[in-house]
Amino acid sequence: MMNSSLLTPSSSSSSHIQTPATTTFDHEDFLDQIFSSAPWPSVVDDAHPPLPSDSFHGHDVDSRNQQIMMMPLNDGSSVHALYNGFSASGSLPNFHIPQGSGGGLMNQERQTQTPSQPQARASTATGGTVAAPPQSRTKVRARRGQATDPHSIAERLRRERIAERMKALQELVPNGNKIDKASMLDEIIDYVKFLQLQVKVLSMSRLGGAASVSSQISEAGGSHGNATSAMASGSQTAGSSNDNITMTEHQVAKLMEEDMGSAMQYLQGKGLCLMPISLATAISTATCHTTRNPLIPGAADVGGPSSPNLSNMTIQSTNTTMGHGNGKLKGNGNGIIEGSSSISVKEAVSVSKP
Amino acid sequence: MASADKTINTDVPEKDVFAIHFLQSLSNLRIQNLFNSPDTTNYRVRKIKKAAYVSMARAAGGTSRLWSRALLRRAAKGNNKIVRFPRRKRKVTWKISSKRRRSDQRAPVVEDAAERLRNLVPGGGGMETSKLMEETAHYIKCLSMQVKVMQCLVDGLSPK
Repeated sequence: MMNSSLLTPSSSSSSHIQTPATTTFDHEDFLDQIFSSAPWPSVVDDAHPPLPSDSFHGHDVDSRNQQIMMMPLNDGSSVHALYNGFSASGSLPNFHIPQGSGGGLMNQERQTQTPSQPQARASTATGGTVAAPPQSRTKVRARRGQATDPHSIAERLRRERIAERMKALQELVPNGNKIDKASMLDEIIDYVKFLQLQVKVLSMSRLGGAASVSSQISEAGGSHGNATSAMASGSQTAGSSNDNITMTEHQVAKLMEEDMGSAMQYLQGKGLCLMPISLATAISTATCHTTRNPLIPGAADVGGPSSPNLSNMTIQSTNTTMGHGNGKLKGNGNGIIEGSSSISVKEAVSVSKP
Repeated sequence: MASADKTINTDVPEKDVFAIHFLQSLSNLRIQNLFNSPDTTNYRVRKIKKAAYVSMARAAGGTSRLWSRALLRRAAKGNNKIVRFPRRKRKVTWKISSKRRRSDQRAPVVEDAAERLRNLVPGGGGMETSKLMEETAHYIKCLSMQVKVMQCLVDGLSPK
């Protein structure tokens, strides 16, 4: 079937060649591919005979596989038109090869369709009279040796898109110089978590917990014997600090009767926590002496700018304690706290103070 | 690949847009007069945090971004009608429905990280991985802008 169409006279087909711009779309396609690929000139410069037979399989795995997609397998008329035209120009040997691989075309159709490409190449290399206007292509160029079925192409497109976005994300995230994709993704996730945590912390200090947080500081400072002026928050007086502690304890005791969780939440909001008395005693005696001095200069900037730091420590569960502060809380709630020691051991943070 | 979208638009507005929205939400909160009793500290904190996120979503483009849209929808649940959602021209989730089965095969390293991201970024549940990463980039930019604004407020308004 194909042989017969090859040998038909080409009065109509020559018009195809001479006016390539007006021919079928498929015709333009593969011509465009042929002329747009770079190493073509080397092929054109080669002598005629080596082209057809030797280069068939050699070019099979070449990178210009994109032409495979463009080649209309079923519609061989345009291809044959070319052959006919070139035959008119005198390159007779080409006829035989297309015939041979024309059958091959059918056979290898389900494969990567590479044989079609050398045919076109052979024919147009000799001719070269056809001018194909370059167009912008939206098809993907297949990589060397890879299949070109639509699934893998879509897959590749998707991967490239994802890689592109990851590159954009890499610039946003600090310490984003990781080359490994997995660690880069971990960095991204951690950074998002960190930013969300920052918003939470800032909203605690900003208007929200600032008053109560600073009250804790002032009471601790006052009870510890430091100058209350060092507690620069200014929103609570030192005199009311003791009342705050008592009030807090009553509130906690009340909450503990109904639900432990809400009591813990309440304490957490204030920047406090429960701990077994024995532990608190041990910690306070151990750290009371060592931490007192550094606290004095640290207490000076207890005001606004460091309140986020305070809240940070609340969340990060540092272990600095103020002995007196704990003592007060423990003393009144003695029975209750002893009973709940099992729970508080788990969350044994401490009063968050600098 | 001429069809590749080289112009992924992840621009966010300037700091002042975020600041204006946040301050407006704060003043709205104050009008509600919740801040009398210090016992409700946690409640206050949560309200402020929610106000921060909502104002961030509004400043970042309202309903034109997937994550902000999901955030606003989540925040408006049960509330009065705060946000109006214009109808989208096409459904966003078509890609998921057709290819969800295959998603586990696609670079499982990327995919389980994408799962974790989906839990973090609002509205991430209905997005394909590539769209998710685009939204994450915009979300990160907006979050950092919001954090800067809030930090400036805290620093500027804290008593000396």
